Amino acid sequence: MGNITLGRYIPLDSPIHKMDPRAKIMAMLLVLIAIFFPAGWTGYAIIFAAAALTIIIGKLSFTFIWKAMKPMLFMLAFLFVINAFLLKTGDPLFTVGSFTLYSDAVFQTLYIAVRLLLMVMITTCLTATTKPLDMTLGIEDLLKPFQKIHVPAHEIAMLISIALRFIPDLIDETQRIIKAQESRGVDLQEGKLTDRIMAILSLIVPLFVSAFQRAEDLANAMEARGYAPGEKRTRYKVLKMEGRDYILLAGAVLLLAGMVWLAYFR
Amino acid sequence: MPISFEHVSYIYSKGTPYEYKALDDVCLDIEEGKMTAVIGQTGSGKSTLVQHLNALLLPETGTVKVLDRTITASEKPKRLKSLRGDVGLVFQFPEYQLFEETVLKDVAFGPKNFGASEEEAKKRALNALKLVGLGEEYCERSPLELSGGQKRRIAIAGILAMNPKVLVLDEPTAGLDPKGTESMMKLFHELNRGHGKTILIVTHDMEQVFRYCDRVIVMEDGKVRVHTDTETFFRNPAACQEMHILPPALIRMKELLKENGFEVPDDILSIDALADCIARQVKKHG
Ligand SMILES: Nc1ncnc2c1ncn2[C@@H]1O[C@H](COP(=O)(O)OP(=O)(O)O)[C@@H](O)[C@H]1O
Ligand SMILES: [Mg+2]
Repeated sequence: MGNITLGRYIPLDSPIHKMDPRAKIMAMLLVLIAIFFPAGWTGYAIIFAAAALTIIIGKLSFTFIWKAMKPMLFMLAFLFVINAFLLKTGDPLFTVGSFTLYSDAVFQTLYIAVRLLLMVMITTCLTATTKPLDMTLGIEDLLKPFQKIHVPAHEIAMLISIALRFIPDLIDETQRIIKAQESRGVDLQEGKLTDRIMAILSLIVPLFVSAFQRAEDLANAMEARGYAPGEKRTRYKVLKMEGRDYILLAGAVLLLAGMVWLAYFR
Repeated sequence: MPISFEHVSYIYSKGTPYEYKALDDVCLDIEEGKMTAVIGQTGSGKSTLVQHLNALLLPETGTVKVLDRTITASEKPKRLKSLRGDVGLVFQFPEYQLFEETVLKDVAFGPKNFGASEEEAKKRALNALKLVGLGEEYCERSPLELSGGQKRRIAIAGILAMNPKVLVLDEPTAGLDPKGTESMMKLFHELNRGHGKTILIVTHDMEQVFRYCDRVIVMEDGKVRVHTDTETFFRNPAACQEMHILPPALIRMKELLKENGFEVPDDILSIDALADCIARQVKKHG
């Protein structure tokens, strides 16, 4: 599990790391929307430059981005094969037997690949530079306005932060249970169907038991410290927007505006 | 046939920034038929070491030899399954591995996985339950509704029912009350002396090491620091202190008495013998 880089926080010290999570989330959303305007290759080049700049300022490495992209390559290859057979517009590139590859199949796939790459870059800029807890604080604040229409902002944020908190624990626990059952002769690689079902059960039941146990312990611990959802709570960490946060937001708005202009008003 | 480690190293998360060398060139010979304690501070590599014995972990470099099988980095998993039946490994907090609806079914799960018939597995399960001190009245109950100590016993019975030649226990008494600990250690002692099983036990309880184990292995930073007889080991309390190990009460008592001018022979290893010895000296000088 150590190889998953998509969505992982990288503890470094950079101006991007220090930014207000609310500004970063908002900026990410704006740029993600910008990607969906048909602004052509010029537009994508501009977004790419902006994302690359953010990555450099954030001291992240491009190999890290590449690793996050890797799992999607398979999907893209699959997409290319489908496009190659279905898209018969544009110029014919070459012919093998009765099959002809057209330029639109290549460009369509490339188009999607570039969008995907940009999306991974942009989201990584956020997740790699923002601590999970700061992220939930940011989400909670951004959801606040929706409380008027009964969106439980605080509860949603608390749910997300608890889930994030327990993912590594549950991964460890799963590995421990796998080892314990393997010691009892469980074979996860092969075996008859009935044996396989037994093997899976022998993992799932203990995992649920321990997850419920953890949930109950956590609930008790929170209650013992006076936590009640819906009550007014103060915060240890108060978020504050500074100059650089406004610059980031302004940049994102400009980028979005630019894409709209490139797409419709040129 | 002894168990041996030859220049074994193990690295967690190799090739990532989180890479960690948990075993570093470990060489060890563990005698058959003995009860050996593995001690050392948390994170010293005890659990990593014992998971090599049934090939849950394969060495990065070096070889492990267990019961005429050789385990190396390139070992095929297929050949290892039978090894897991011969080397029973009880994990820390094994009660988390229970999953069947009834105690009997859960204990019979192991033997069935190793090819025992339904009937044979049941017989062995009943036997194992008796060994850990749980009677037939527990057979049809759900393992999840029993107390922590009982769950622990059932989990251990689940391993014993596989009838392993070597029994490896990772902190089996952690979190048990003193009475539970005592009876658990007596069980392992009986399995070792009465049933001739080779036992390896990871523990932090020096009193139990002193009373029940023949040999002691001290792990430190992924290396074997000391491997010797229990008696020899505790004869040098200063060396223990240096390794952050608090010797058992009896040994500390002997040290105190020596410091205060009493003569205490090394071969006194029980509280009664010590009391007699002191009483004699007090009378003589009295
Ligand atoms: N699954 C794992 N992934 C990464 N590191 C681990 C893993 N398991 C153990 N370690 C590390 O290896 C070292 C030895 O661990 P372990 O063998 O469990 O020690 P002990 O049982 O003596 O407390 C520890 O520093 C621990 O953090
Ligand atoms: Mg351990």
